[in-house]
Amino acid sequence: MGIISLEHSDRLYWLGRYTERFFTTIKALGRQFDKMIGTSHGYTDYLDCFGLPDIYTDNRSFFRSMLFDKNNANSANYSLERAYDNGIVLREEISTDSLSFLQMAMDTIAKAEQEHNGNVRLALLPLEDIIYSFWGSINEHIYDDEIRNIIYIGKTVERLDMYIRMKYPFERVEKEFIRLLKNLNRVPKGTPYRYNTKYLSDLVEILGTQEDYRRDSEKAVDSLGHLFDTEEVFV
Amino acid sequence: MIGVINMTQQVQFTKAVGNASEINELLRRYGVKFGIYKNGVFKEQFFPFDPIPRVITAEDFGSMEKGLAQRVNALNEFLYDIYHEKKIVRDGIIPEDFIYISKGYLAECEGVTPKNKVYSHISGIDLVQAKNGEWYILEDNLRIPSGASYPLIARDLTRIAAPQAFEENSVVDNRGYAELLKETMENVNCGGARAILTPGRYNAAYFEHSYLAELTGSVLVQNDELFVEDNILYHHTYSGGKSRIGVLYRRIADEYLDPLTFLPESLIGIPNLMEAYRSGNVGIINAPGNGVADDKGIYYFVPKMIKYYLDEEPILKNAPTYLPFYEEDMKYVMANLDKLVIKDVAEAGGYGVVFGNDLTKEKLEDFRKTIIAEPRRFIAQEVIDFLDLPIVEGDKTVMRKADLRAFVLSGAETKVWASGLTRFSRNPDSFVVNSSQGGGFKDTWVLSR
Repeated sequence: MGIISLEHSDRLYWLGRYTERFFTTIKALGRQFDKMIGTSHGYTDYLDCFGLPDIYTDNRSFFRSMLFDKNNANSANYSLERAYDNGIVLREEISTDSLSFLQMAMDTIAKAEQEHNGNVRLALLPLEDIIYSFWGSINEHIYDDEIRNIIYIGKTVERLDMYIRMKYPFERVEKEFIRLLKNLNRVPKGTPYRYNTKYLSDLVEILGTQEDYRRDSEKAVDSLGHLFDTEEVFV
Repeated sequence: MIGVINMTQQVQFTKAVGNASEINELLRRYGVKFGIYKNGVFKEQFFPFDPIPRVITAEDFGSMEKGLAQRVNALNEFLYDIYHEKKIVRDGIIPEDFIYISKGYLAECEGVTPKNKVYSHISGIDLVQAKNGEWYILEDNLRIPSGASYPLIARDLTRIAAPQAFEENSVVDNRGYAELLKETMENVNCGGARAILTPGRYNAAYFEHSYLAELTGSVLVQNDELFVEDNILYHHTYSGGKSRIGVLYRRIADEYLDPLTFLPESLIGIPNLMEAYRSGNVGIINAPGNGVADDKGIYYFVPKMIKYYLDEEPILKNAPTYLPFYEEDMKYVMANLDKLVIKDVAEAGGYGVVFGNDLTKEKLEDFRKTIIAEPRRFIAQEVIDFLDLPIVEGDKTVMRKADLRAFVLSGAETKVWASGLTRFSRNPDSFVVNSSQGGGFKDTWVLSR
């Protein structure tokens, strides 16, 4: 185990989460954009997934806010900024190369925002490539499996959270859950990101069958949120 | 003229490097930034880079290298002497006023000998080149000089954007800085990991802290990740354990280092760090207390130190400097105030620098009174007509004032990094080149032949 502080392990986890939130948001908004063509207020199903009110005048204002508005905690840009905030204090762990992909993503999204009349969706396409490259770079530059595992746990927890909220098909969710279980199994006892048994058991139960998943998805999101709560000791 | 690159050569370098935009684009991509506080708000800015390098001939660098190493060796001797026997004061070379009034003198460091007697491990020496090719030392920075990371990464990226420039010119590769720094850190490592202590992301030089940690394989830490136990410095590890730190390259000022020794209100220090240091259990880079040697008032005495400690003639000259503290110098300063540049010895970063010819008559008179009232607070220097360097501005090349920060690393030997940070003023009428005041930077090429 390399020398890494608790603060940095926390940063790594949240770097994983925010980068994934950004990526999944971009992809989801791309699909939503397609669904909205020829509709007015064709985005309400998206807002419903996150329990958000419709405060938008039209499709365009929704789309731009969800993409670019740094004050909107649900926007892609907000998540990217938070990812960068976590990444910038991890340079020596993740490398300047990895960090450069986040900077590149910020530059790309800033450029897309300027293109008021152009095809925003097209301007955003390189972002997917950039984030895939970021993960490749992370994999390349973090030699310590345990440290690398923390960032991947963050990534998988976030993906699962987003997928469940957005009601992704059971097969997709199940695959991500298996991935998370594999990551969690690599965490040594007595270290942060060692799962809380109770909440993990809940997740195993809820995500065990398609029916349970459909019925208890809200509970699954809640259990995911408590997955790393310190275990209570009962006497 | 020896040491001055002629215009034909300069055009050749300019052409070789080509367009600034690609390199600046790359610098942007790699997040080469510095932080600045304006009206209490922190802002991160990209550090404007000019692609036309400052070029130093091999011959010129050879002599500069000797001069810089000589100067830093003398300064290290001085620091040891001041915190021990104070022979230089006793022998009347430097008046004791200049030692004990200096904010940089720390009584808490009396009698402390850092490992291998090195105080200034990383020295940033600021120079300017006059139009006749002569180099002058402007100031010594022996506390936490910053800036090496910028030409370091700029060179790497320029080699990507303009490889032809390095095919056509024999430039000494400057990318060994990290290795040099690592050697310097290891020379005073008291057993344990190497760490770089940063005040955090919102420090002006955070890019540099994190980049150097990455390149040297050091742990980048903030104070709350460190603690001292039984006079040994440790790092809290992720799994709840501890790991020993053997050398700490701290990027925070002396007075904030240890709240139990210096400022009790410091929130960025490590309690008992000085005890661990005094016990010889951790190397601190640069040693606390160095401020007494890079005080602008002490600068005047450095050539005398070289003669005193090394019995050598100084190779590099100071800019002609006057100390109003001395009666004769005070007379000269009063008679020539409108022609001189006056520096407040307590200030840094380009602040506290006043050009006499910029002041109105009234302000000049007010300033005169301040100098008379506080003669120890100021030094006065002749304005050196220093060489302008070309910079790209839009599609034109314009000439601007520039200085050079050379980096001297003192490990087992004193080595001068064959590069340096060339900072330039973007304002045509200004001599102030500091990044905090809008200046940009250039790479510094040392030719190998």
